[in-house]
Amino acid sequence: MSGQSIHTNDSVHNYGPFPPAARPVEPVGIGLRYPHYKEVLETDLELGWLEVHPENYFGGGAHRHFLSEARKQYNLSLHAVGLSLGSDEPVAQEHLRGFKELIDIYQPFNVSDHASWSASGNAHLNDLLPLPYTQESLDKLARNVETTQEYFGRKILVENPSTYLAFEGNEMHEDVFMNRIAEMTGCGILLDLNNIYVQAHNHGYDAWSYINTIDAHHVGEMHLAGHIEQEADDGVILVDTHSRPVKGDVWDLYKHAVRKVGVVPTLIEWDSDIPDLKTLVGEADKARAIIADIEAEGMAHAAE
Amino acid sequence: MQLSEYQNRFKDLMLDHPDVLDAPPEDLAAFCKSGDIALPTRLKVYRNNIVGSLTDMLKATFPITQALVGEKFFETMARSFILQNPPAKGVLSHYGEGMDEFIASYTPAKPLPYLTDIAAYEISKNHSYHAADDAPLTAAQLAVIPPEELQDMQITLRAHVFLIHSKYPLTSIEEFCMENDADKALDLDQGGEHLMVFRRNLDVEVAVIGQGEFEFLQQISNGASLGEAMEQVLSEFADFNIQDVLQKHLVLETFRAL
Ligand SMILES: [Fe+2]
Repeated sequence: MSGQSIHTNDSVHNYGPFPPAARPVEPVGIGLRYPHYKEVLETDLELGWLEVHPENYFGGGAHRHFLSEARKQYNLSLHAVGLSLGSDEPVAQEHLRGFKELIDIYQPFNVSDHASWSASGNAHLNDLLPLPYTQESLDKLARNVETTQEYFGRKILVENPSTYLAFEGNEMHEDVFMNRIAEMTGCGILLDLNNIYVQAHNHGYDAWSYINTIDAHHVGEMHLAGHIEQEADDGVILVDTHSRPVKGDVWDLYKHAVRKVGVVPTLIEWDSDIPDLKTLVGEADKARAIIADIEAEGMAHAAE
Repeated sequence: MQLSEYQNRFKDLMLDHPDVLDAPPEDLAAFCKSGDIALPTRLKVYRNNIVGSLTDMLKATFPITQALVGEKFFETMARSFILQNPPAKGVLSHYGEGMDEFIASYTPAKPLPYLTDIAAYEISKNHSYHAADDAPLTAAQLAVIPPEELQDMQITLRAHVFLIHSKYPLTSIEEFCMENDADKALDLDQGGEHLMVFRRNLDVEVAVIGQGEFEFLQQISNGASLGEAMEQVLSEFADFNIQDVLQKHLVLETFRAL
């Protein structure tokens, strides 16, 4: 045995804290997912920022090495799926603690989760489950958003979910529910255009009027993703799979939203059947081109 | 229906027998709205999302188990596991913990007695990958300890180090599964293995280690002092050489910094 010691990369990490993040200058980002870890680090990409689910980085481990390397090159958004903000129960302290640790290290420019629930009793169902849009739900959601914002010492964004089920007892429409939660807690809205499109089909309402109803000044980020059409005996249901390119109709909705709301950080989400990085970045390029066109329109108007 | 009751009932429905989705309880059905698309279709989207995403996660954590039983068998087994052991929290990196015990009592898996140990081995690999980062004990740190104090010293293993003992040749089974070579035969009677699962350069590795060495590492991870561990191991393995073992594991960075 030689006397030489083996140097391991993950012996001692000295991650962060990174400098506090400013809002990205380039508005369009993509999700950083395992199959692209190395390529994203080694390629010079025209991207404004990266998004990850904080839950995959709790407690340390090998994933964090890649996140730290990526954070050296890009702004970051931490988009949670596990706080279960819409549960009747309070947010889990353990989850808040793990999340806050990542916020302190990685200094993301945005922190978000959804207007949905996953946890009930001893089970966490790993999906974004639908809320009845009632005053009771609003109060419970507001309590959990407030707890989270106080714990983090910062504002969070709450995203409109994809739902496949609505409730007889709904007291308001989802767009109004989203505005109310922002007014009650000071949180921002993360507007997912694909989710609005999917919902509009599944529940039969007008996606454009949803966007018109949302208070523009609350919107802090937008999401774009692909969905599938699932055939059933009784019709077609749209399922938000994040497994496909963004549909043409959803791009049109995005244009409408950017005209209405202005330019905010926009994410291309792609979480299953993940394509090569080039395809994913191609979707980001499309979003950037839309933003550039709309900005040019604005300048032309101003010059008139 | 209050929010707490709806969430509780909906959760139970998602974890119930799939046939129940075709005829959900009347009061819950009345609480939901369906329109053109009927309620069972809507509920099944959620059910498929939940069971499907968790099954994918289990497939990623248990590739050898899946290779041994085939995809169909694994999916059926995974569904039973999920419905009986839904995740308890919003972080799923350790989901699948308990799969070894589940398999031990899963009747269709009885013909494959080594499956429980394979699942335990795969759980260790997953835990090792996700284990917290901690600093290693270095030879320099050890060198400054006065020799008379070494005996009473307690050192511990790093968070990513796991020890596995099986009466089956786990690494041979793994190789056999991953190579997928039909001409190769697997000899299950070749004897068991003592394994150390650990992380190096961000990847999980496995080393077959000696029985005395295994016993020694096990002792110190259970809190024994170096002296106690050595004495215990020497009583069973007269040829155990503490110098060699310490030297080897300082190089492998198995021990946690003091
Ligand atoms: Fe989204």
